[in-house]
Amino acid sequence: MTLKKLILSVFVLLCQCISAQNDSINNLKEVIVSDRTLHFDNKSQTIQVLNDSVIDKNQSYLTNLLNFNSVLYFKEYGRGGTSTVSFRGTTASQTAVVWNGINVNSLLNGSADFNTFTSSDFNSISVKAGGGSVSYGSGAIGGSVHLNTNLVFDNKFENNLRLDYGSFNTIGVNYKMNLSNKKWSTQVGLSRNSSDNDYDYVDLYTWQGVQRKNENGQYATTSLSGNVGYKISAHEMLTFYSQFSNTDRNLSLVSESDSKTKYINTFSRNLLEYAETEGRFSSNYKVAYLTEEYQYFADIDSDYFTFGKSESFIAKMDFGYQLIESIKLDGIVDYNGTKGFGTSFGDNTRHIGAVALKAVQKANPKWQNELGFRKEATSDYDSPFLFSLGSSYAFTSFYNLKVNFSRNFRIPTFNDLYWEEGGNPDLQPESSYQTEVGNVFTYKKFTLTETLYFNKIDNLIRWVPVNGDVWSPENTDRVNTYGSETILGWANSYGKNSFAVNGTYAYTISKNLDTDKQLFFVPYHKATASVAYSYSKFSVDYQYLYNGFVYTRSDNDPNEIIDAYQVSNLGFNYDFKFLESSKIGFQVLNVFNEKYESVEDRPMPGRNFNLYLTLKF
Amino acid sequence: MKFSKSFFVALLSVSVLVSCTNDDDKVVDSGDYNEGVLVLNEGGSGQGSVSYISNDLNNFTQDAYTSVNGSDLLGKYVQSIFFDGDNAYIIAGGSNKITVVNRNTFKIVAKIETGLVNPRYGVVKDGKAYVTNANTYSYANLATGNTDDYVAVINLTTNLVESKIELNATANRIVLENGKLYITEPYVNDKVLVVNPTTKTLEAPINVGSDADTMEAKDGVLYVLRSPYGVSSEIVKVKLSDNSLSKITFPAELQDAKNLDIEQNKIYYTVGTSVYGMNISETTASKTAILTYNSNSDYGKMYGFAVKNNHFFIADGGDFTANSKAYIYSLAGVLEKEFTVGVGPNGFYFNN
Repeated sequence: MTLKKLILSVFVLLCQCISAQNDSINNLKEVIVSDRTLHFDNKSQTIQVLNDSVIDKNQSYLTNLLNFNSVLYFKEYGRGGTSTVSFRGTTASQTAVVWNGINVNSLLNGSADFNTFTSSDFNSISVKAGGGSVSYGSGAIGGSVHLNTNLVFDNKFENNLRLDYGSFNTIGVNYKMNLSNKKWSTQVGLSRNSSDNDYDYVDLYTWQGVQRKNENGQYATTSLSGNVGYKISAHEMLTFYSQFSNTDRNLSLVSESDSKTKYINTFSRNLLEYAETEGRFSSNYKVAYLTEEYQYFADIDSDYFTFGKSESFIAKMDFGYQLIESIKLDGIVDYNGTKGFGTSFGDNTRHIGAVALKAVQKANPKWQNELGFRKEATSDYDSPFLFSLGSSYAFTSFYNLKVNFSRNFRIPTFNDLYWEEGGNPDLQPESSYQTEVGNVFTYKKFTLTETLYFNKIDNLIRWVPVNGDVWSPENTDRVNTYGSETILGWANSYGKNSFAVNGTYAYTISKNLDTDKQLFFVPYHKATASVAYSYSKFSVDYQYLYNGFVYTRSDNDPNEIIDAYQVSNLGFNYDFKFLESSKIGFQVLNVFNEKYESVEDRPMPGRNFNLYLTLKF
Repeated sequence: MKFSKSFFVALLSVSVLVSCTNDDDKVVDSGDYNEGVLVLNEGGSGQGSVSYISNDLNNFTQDAYTSVNGSDLLGKYVQSIFFDGDNAYIIAGGSNKITVVNRNTFKIVAKIETGLVNPRYGVVKDGKAYVTNANTYSYANLATGNTDDYVAVINLTTNLVESKIELNATANRIVLENGKLYITEPYVNDKVLVVNPTTKTLEAPINVGSDADTMEAKDGVLYVLRSPYGVSSEIVKVKLSDNSLSKITFPAELQDAKNLDIEQNKIYYTVGTSVYGMNISETTASKTAILTYNSNSDYGKMYGFAVKNNHFFIADGGDFTANSKAYIYSLAGVLEKEFTVGVGPNGFYFNN
């Protein structure tokens, strides 16, 4: 990658939105983004794009990328352990992870484990703050994380290979191949990231004075992906996206004498899409088949395991109509059939049908209005009427105002409904009303986004003991979350010197209305910062994370908190111009050897190192 | 004498201050944590802990183990304590370990970390501890989960598990009487297991029926409280000389009775949030509550209960995510004190 390209790609990160383009496919666009409506239909909300140059600077798992570069807060059970998110003060199942436009949150437990995703498997990763259930379904309450594949149609044969070796025998092999002409595009990816993960706990010793370390923490994630696009004609296009991944992890011990357990997560995701435009009409047909399975071994030496599995079939039709030049309407019909089964519940099948209507009005180049409705029907529960209403207006070249009001939901999971025993078939979806105001200031190469939001969430599902020793989920809690998000970026170059500075800050209140307490594991404050400098073929970057304290108990006991922590990483790389581009890089992670943890008694590693080589040919 | 910060907090939060019956002038002389009551808190997502209440109810330490031993971890799901000599043995079922502390200073002495799998309760005889181990559970091991429980025999000089007595059944609570071990388990087992610790062999079990949990031996009789779901609870009296049985069947309104404790010739038990008592010689169970306390807990009502030194000690499990309460009542049923202890308090142990 040339220096200019590097600067350019850094700069793209700073932009809140990819520059407006007509989203029809009949032009000779070189890059086809999988989820085309993400940016075009959601100008009234803030979307932060993390492209491959940012992805490359972070460790393999998605947790790491988002923790150091976004406002998302992570609860990570030690390095590489299960990792769940809290976005805008919401729970782990109230952030949707969206793979090429399809919601892939677990249908068994509702959440996504961010340490089962390898960031470099995707071409771009976007963080959309705020409600998005009209477009992205269940769980898009706090926000959504979008994992997108971009297919290039450009007579190219390109290979990307990255090899990593780091402390604790951490090994990464990430390979991606692009083969394309003007009509066809193929992308094949393979990645494997593994670690013995037996790091020493900073400044922690057993009662006999022996250094404590992370035992039984080894992990390995293997992922394969294949994506194909074919432009049938100037008006028609067929794309197929497919991904398989397996994460095999032992769960690290809290006490050295704890039982050793293991957890295996397997996912397969397949999506076939046909899109057509003809004059004012456009149509888009999608079919997807998704599976997820977990296997839990209560004893790693035994073959016995408990498991849960879901298989989903999704069909979606989207008919677009350009009513007048400024207004585009979309009518969407979709169906989602899921079968869930496992050790803890029998075979259960759920059918969900939905109708949605969306309208986007580009009143003028400065002003866009967005409106959407969605209503689902299913036999299992009453689904609320969802809507989203938003507007984006650029008052001047340096000030853009965004306003959005939406209703969103999170449906009960298979575990919630059917777990034996305790599953509650009478649960209703969690529902939220959300309003937000975003201010985007752009001056020369400086962008500042300041968003204020208020989110009222009802019917929060919580597992409570009901009779005897049976726990059962109920729609019990009401929570208000509100706060502010600040994202800022600046990049410039002077001769051979180039600089990029980025920062985020989130202030979050998440209050249980019945107890008036902050939800546990929601920090009031989280901030990130990064500074990158490059000179000719050499570049250096510094990352910083501040995570404010969190309560670990529902009663906000001040003695039971996870202390605030600050972590810094330092990276260097040098492009030695072998082949098209070849970089060798070295990273010092947790430079200041901070002693920290994000979950009680789950210490994270101290200072550690990573060496990598990337080859592009 | 140690005055921790939590002690002051607890004092301030005590809503009812009734002077206690004991002599207040007693001096704690051999350490911080003797002459008092240990409240075991099993813990929730975090580690278990031990709270200390002095016998005069005036001194309190919320987390005695951590205040003495710093960052050392007591383990998950702390289940029970047994004593031997100067030592207290704290069993952490979820972490397969027993932490040995000096019962006066609470300073760690040793850890027993091998040979235990889901340990539950222990007793001591002749320098050896006998600890029930649930081993694997049937939900994770359908084949042998209900037959692999064992008693770990621990040499208390070396603090090592030196042998195992296989039980071929499920095991939980254990009592030592007349040189024999009596073991109950309420969910699967319908017998009281009998083990001869000298020969390490199983003797003929006693068929008391299902759902037998708490028990206590007195004057050659083992009193076993069983509370099958949906029918009357009963106390099964096992005459240990010939294992013959007699029963006290509870009135129909007293179902799901728990927490049998015999003190000064009275049998005490609980139903819901109420405490009942009857003379040990009586053949019908009292249905007049001595006291009833308020609980918001769904699962943790009367999660721990004991009678000692003319007090009732009641632990409320709370919501199992936040620190919960221990209440101390007089035998007349008057609330004397309450303390905010740890998460999921499940038992009281008297360290005298």
